[in-house]
Amino acid sequence: MADLAKVAPARPLRRGMDRGPVREFLVFGLAGELYGVELTGIKEILSPPPITTVPRAPREVVGVCSVRGLLVTVLDLRRRLRLEERGPTRRSRILLAMADTGEVSGLLVDEVRQVVRLAEAEIEVAAQALGGDLAEHVLGVGRPGGMFLILLDLKAIVKD
Amino acid sequence: MAEISDKAREEFFSEAQEIIETLSRNLLALDTASREGSYDPSLINEAFRAVHTLKGLAGLFGATRLGSMSHRLEDLLDALRLGRMVLSAETLDVLFSAVDAYNKVLELEKAGIDQSLPEVDALLGKLDRLGAGVPDRSSPVSEYEFDAGMLAVLTEYEEHRLKVNVEQRLSLYRLRVQFDLATIDRALEQIKERARLHGEIITYLPTGETTSADSIELDLLMASKDTLATLIGALGADNVVIEEIPRRRAPDAPAPRAPLQSNLAMPLPSAPVRAGDSMPPPVRETDRGGPMEKERSLRSLTQTVRVDIRKLDHLMNIVGELAIVRGAFSRIAERVRNDGQRQLAAELMRLHRNFDRRLSEMQEGILEVRMVPLGQVFERLARVVRQISRELHKEIRLVITGAETEIDKLIVEELSDPLMHMIRNAIDHGIESAERRAQVGKPNAGTIALNAYQKGNHVMIEVEDDGRGIDESAIVERAVQLGKLERADVGELAREEILGLIFLPGLSTRQSADDVSGRGVGMDIVKTNIGKLGGVIDVHSEVGIGTKMTITLPITLAIVSALIVRAEAQVFALPLASVSEALSLDEASVRVLDGREVVTLRGSTLPICRLSRLLNLERAQDSLTRQGFVVVVALGSRRLGLAVDHLYGQQDIVIKPLGRSLRNVRGFAGATELGDQRVGLVLDAAALIEEMLVGSEQPRERAGVAHG
Repeated sequence: MADLAKVAPARPLRRGMDRGPVREFLVFGLAGELYGVELTGIKEILSPPPITTVPRAPREVVGVCSVRGLLVTVLDLRRRLRLEERGPTRRSRILLAMADTGEVSGLLVDEVRQVVRLAEAEIEVAAQALGGDLAEHVLGVGRPGGMFLILLDLKAIVKD
Repeated sequence: MAEISDKAREEFFSEAQEIIETLSRNLLALDTASREGSYDPSLINEAFRAVHTLKGLAGLFGATRLGSMSHRLEDLLDALRLGRMVLSAETLDVLFSAVDAYNKVLELEKAGIDQSLPEVDALLGKLDRLGAGVPDRSSPVSEYEFDAGMLAVLTEYEEHRLKVNVEQRLSLYRLRVQFDLATIDRALEQIKERARLHGEIITYLPTGETTSADSIELDLLMASKDTLATLIGALGADNVVIEEIPRRRAPDAPAPRAPLQSNLAMPLPSAPVRAGDSMPPPVRETDRGGPMEKERSLRSLTQTVRVDIRKLDHLMNIVGELAIVRGAFSRIAERVRNDGQRQLAAELMRLHRNFDRRLSEMQEGILEVRMVPLGQVFERLARVVRQISRELHKEIRLVITGAETEIDKLIVEELSDPLMHMIRNAIDHGIESAERRAQVGKPNAGTIALNAYQKGNHVMIEVEDDGRGIDESAIVERAVQLGKLERADVGELAREEILGLIFLPGLSTRQSADDVSGRGVGMDIVKTNIGKLGGVIDVHSEVGIGTKMTITLPITLAIVSALIVRAEAQVFALPLASVSEALSLDEASVRVLDGREVVTLRGSTLPICRLSRLLNLERAQDSLTRQGFVVVVALGSRRLGLAVDHLYGQQDIVIKPLGRSLRNVRGFAGATELGDQRVGLVLDAAALIEEMLVGSEQPRERAGVAHG
């Protein structure tokens, strides 16, 4: 179980006075790309515990696991976003996210990188450009320090 | 209501809900009593008090609609309890409709919706029409030689009770009793308790003639049909003097009639005397709604604690986690022993056993808290029965047994709708019209029996009527019409299968859709809802004699004993409640019948289902060498053999529901922790049986019977 403190910002970003409120994003890798989700939506980051597969479950569900007594359904974010599939590795992590209903879901990602801060003005609304299945889950694109970051809407992903 | 916290609001609503339920209970009892021709004044009093408390609460929380409605009802109940009005069937109807209106108002208030309610307006209209009460009759009380002082301090209610008793030609007695101040509450209760067997205590007052500082003397005015000698025998003691209040020779000699409000000036009985009161309520005209009264009625309701059931779930989860700690504990003890530290190991084991015992006690305790008597839901149903029977002009006798049977609170909540549908059906379709019943020689009133009892780990609920029974040909005809059944297949259906057709969506034997339950929604929903609770429903019916529906439910949803099994590499839990036995599978004895595998078990055919195949599990390496087992699951009259690869034994598990993204996955009741951080899926026996027996046991030729 990784502590959020260990993935502190790589370098603090300037707090632009006129660029809107600053939001913090957790950066993770998935199928060779970098993605970001808003940090406030993430309860915890886990090394994958034993996961029990659920027969007859939808494809994107890896299975269920227990996090200190709480039953969590784990979704494979690669499958959820219809990316190329691959089994978990040593670097794989599960992000625990809470939906509006209060239910906690786990999202399996390839690796967790860092936390970045983006001002409102630094978030490009670029969902249309991406098109396809991704569009409905994307908030926009950010380019902190030369990275290309696809910012995901966590609530939309864990909604159903 | 802005400054009132959410928590307080929550409390207010649940308390109001409780009071309304009490009110409903009293009304039902009144209804029963009045149909038997008797009348219990304490019921009216309790109803009055309930409404009064509700008014007070509503005032505190600024729920004005609730308050004004209660105020009007209070007036009506007051008139009833003071005998200014007679309790008629119409009045009872109005009171019953008040309960419904209350529930609606509460719902709206809770949601914060400020919307006018036609129900409330209708109720207020009805209250108006009931209007002012019957005028006072002349008082026969004057026939008695009363102590004017005593008569003067009677409340209007007490005066009314006195009058009623005198009218019934009962004798009046005065009990002069010395009480020790330290024990007066209990002593007074005791004497009232004993007196109740012989009559009614109308009032009691201090005589003011105290002999010592730590005692008090009260006069109890009692009406009784018994003689003085009997009463002295029953109630007499050193500190009790009983006298009969003599009747006057000349009945026309006018006694000073007590002015209604004169009690204002009279000394009130001391507080400790009144606090223990439970029989005639000490609600005086003068302090109704005053701060004293409000405070007392609020306090009286705080002996129980209301707890959100989610908190209990949370506690149960902790117990589940502690059970895992317990497992680790015993493993460590084992290891210490193997390391040769016998003394330490023994101490650890002792601790472990202690922990184990306490943990089970805690588990039982939490379970006990979750359990509530089925009576809660039965009472609501009794109201429904009354309402429907009046709507349909059918006289119904409701017989309830086993209302004390306890079941998980969550199940009770989900039961009222299905049971209500079943009862509506029974009254509407089952019970014949009065004329028809007379023709076939049945008693005028139809009987609906609601029976509950515990059977092992299950609670059985039966809804039985003595009506016409289910007309099989009509059911079949309707199913064919709806295209649910091919006419050619009709002959092949067993009786049970035909009765099972009533659970198909859209099926109704009534052609018109304007009656209570003739719309054909209902039984399929009933079955689905019962299924969600892990229960099943069976129908038995005899034409001309009646119909009986039996619901089998698990006793709790929180914790169950389960059989832990393995199929291929995956471990599953199967609730023991649905397991009847387990045996080893002899592959050579498996036969194929009609495209399905079966084995013969004690002379009867048992269909078997291979779990690994049903769930399409990945092959484990030992597939070829292992010995299989059959777990026989049974629910109601249906049985299915589940073929698995290994049995691990029994374990208590806490079932947790699967998340939303898995809600459409059939066959699992949830998941549970099996220790070592591993999660096992809990098989849903009812769903598997349904899937196997109903879904595919029907031979292919008969596929015309549509299910689901």
